[in-house]
Amino acid sequence: MSDVATTSPAPRVFSAVLGSPALRLIVKRLLTAIPILLGVSILMFVLLNLIPGSAALQLLGPEATPEQIARLEHDMGLDRPPVERYLEWLWNALQGDLGRSLVSRQPVTDVLPTRLAVTGELVALAFLISLTVAIPLALLAARRPNRFLDRVSMVVSTAGLSVANYVLALLLVLLFAVKLGWFPAIGYTPVSKGLGDNLYSLALPAFAMAFPLLCFYTRFLRGDLVDQMQGEDYVMTARAKGLGPWQVLLRHAFRNSSFGLITIVGLNISGLIGATVIIESIFSLPGIGQYLLQGILTRDYIVVQAIVIIFAIITVLANLMADVLYAVLDPRIRYGTN
Amino acid sequence: MALTEVQVSSSAVVADETAPTRTRAWLRKLHIGVPAGLLLLIFFACFVLPLVAPIPKPTGGDILNSLQPAFTPGHILGTDDNGNDILARILVGGRTSLFVALTVNLLGLVIGGGLGALAAQAGGIVDSIIMRLFDVLIAIPSLALIVAVSLSLGPGVRNTILTLSFFSVPAFARISRAETLRLREQPFMVAARLSGTSTWRIVVRHLAPNIGPQLMTFAMLGLGIVMVIEGALSFLGLGIRPPAPSWGNMIFQGQLSLSGTPMLVVWPSIALFLTVVGFNQLGEAVRLRWSGR
Repeated sequence: MSDVATTSPAPRVFSAVLGSPALRLIVKRLLTAIPILLGVSILMFVLLNLIPGSAALQLLGPEATPEQIARLEHDMGLDRPPVERYLEWLWNALQGDLGRSLVSRQPVTDVLPTRLAVTGELVALAFLISLTVAIPLALLAARRPNRFLDRVSMVVSTAGLSVANYVLALLLVLLFAVKLGWFPAIGYTPVSKGLGDNLYSLALPAFAMAFPLLCFYTRFLRGDLVDQMQGEDYVMTARAKGLGPWQVLLRHAFRNSSFGLITIVGLNISGLIGATVIIESIFSLPGIGQYLLQGILTRDYIVVQAIVIIFAIITVLANLMADVLYAVLDPRIRYGTN
Repeated sequence: MALTEVQVSSSAVVADETAPTRTRAWLRKLHIGVPAGLLLLIFFACFVLPLVAPIPKPTGGDILNSLQPAFTPGHILGTDDNGNDILARILVGGRTSLFVALTVNLLGLVIGGGLGALAAQAGGIVDSIIMRLFDVLIAIPSLALIVAVSLSLGPGVRNTILTLSFFSVPAFARISRAETLRLREQPFMVAARLSGTSTWRIVVRHLAPNIGPQLMTFAMLGLGIVMVIEGALSFLGLGIRPPAPSWGNMIFQGQLSLSGTPMLVVWPSIALFLTVVGFNQLGEAVRLRWSGR
């Protein structure tokens, strides 16, 4: 008490902010992210250098003479020692310049925003679809465990978890594009040509990415809800208070289970962005995953480095956000650490 | 306090033992039996059947005999666009896919599990170095990492196994480390440390039997994951290269003529799906049984 009274307001606020566990967690995690990002860029650089054939060879094709290749490699700066090239890349990257693509000669920072927008929209749609189906389904299933709807949704979601996303994508194309002709098989319509057409062109790829997640979330949330409803004291209290089964489920059990769900969604973000590599190449979407694959296949290390670093930053931030949200939302953790 | 806890847990055990009736015990056996049976059937079909049954060769088919429909005499599932028997390619491709998945998980289990346990047991700088290294591998999107590794190593079964281990070893290491940290303060571990047992002996004799079940369960689920990723790698034209069959490259080749001959994609997809379901269900059943104890 006396301690609070004697300290002036400014340092008190200062120490409260610095002392808050959430902020300490953020700072600590951001600091550990720095060596990880450095490691990621070094490892990718080494791996790309180990791949036989250079960007010059890929660009000129197998018919090119050794002199032509050597000249282009010199123009690209590929004849310099790898360590020098890496340090130059790192120095520029730290100043926000990710370099020019070896193949198209465009600055990577010019290309990335449009590509990121496509992938971002795809991933956001996939999360939207999976959560809007999974949450009501899990609630309905958990309302009456082991009844018909619960059994059906569990069987379907178990099967759904075992389907490879590229197989699902191909089957969707086969059914809805080839046989029924309801959706375009490949291609992307930008938002500038109308939001409806844009969403229409992303429907199949977004669903192919959403389905395994949908199954996973349904199973997770249903399991957690059933556990809460059966074992927790607060559920018994709520029931004793005279709340109806839906109210107990929605206002008490679901609120608790949603913390776990948020963490899992956060952890899935990086996996989902990784999945765009294959989904975007099946559907010919001009997103970042397709750009990455092209970059690796053409040995364009400038492009690959930029994308992998962005992926790694998103992964680190998403995991951090999940942890922080979890800590902020769940009162047991919020007060427990204070 | 401790007394009440013991009472609660013992009464829970009693309640649990009286609950399963005969049908429940039977159902529980079925949970393990059905996927295990399915997997046995798949293994038998892939590894034994081509040796004893009159199944055509998976490669070198007659191009004039291409794209036969299913149930053609001599070709139960028909032939692909090179005239190769699809069933034969699925069975022999399955050998490759299963072999790769098993080896990758075994490598992950032994190397990743060992390194994770070692890191947790040794602590300090060794722990930091090992785990930061794995953090780097995990921070790179898995497909980008394995595509890059696969391109630098080149195609083939052995290189595909090495490539996919980049993905499995860190995952096993994380689980093994977490389990080891959980066990570290258990009385038997403290006793072993205090009586001067060497780190190596602790890992082999005290830790391995205790974290083994968890790692094995993860390996079961991991088998399904690796089969899918191996497929993805072959699907991108890396990994197992044609004409040698694998389920992934069969799906990729079939995809090129998806609208004309969809069954070229459907058959290997069914094989992949059934195998992954088998591994996932078995892993889930084993996990429930072990966690129930």
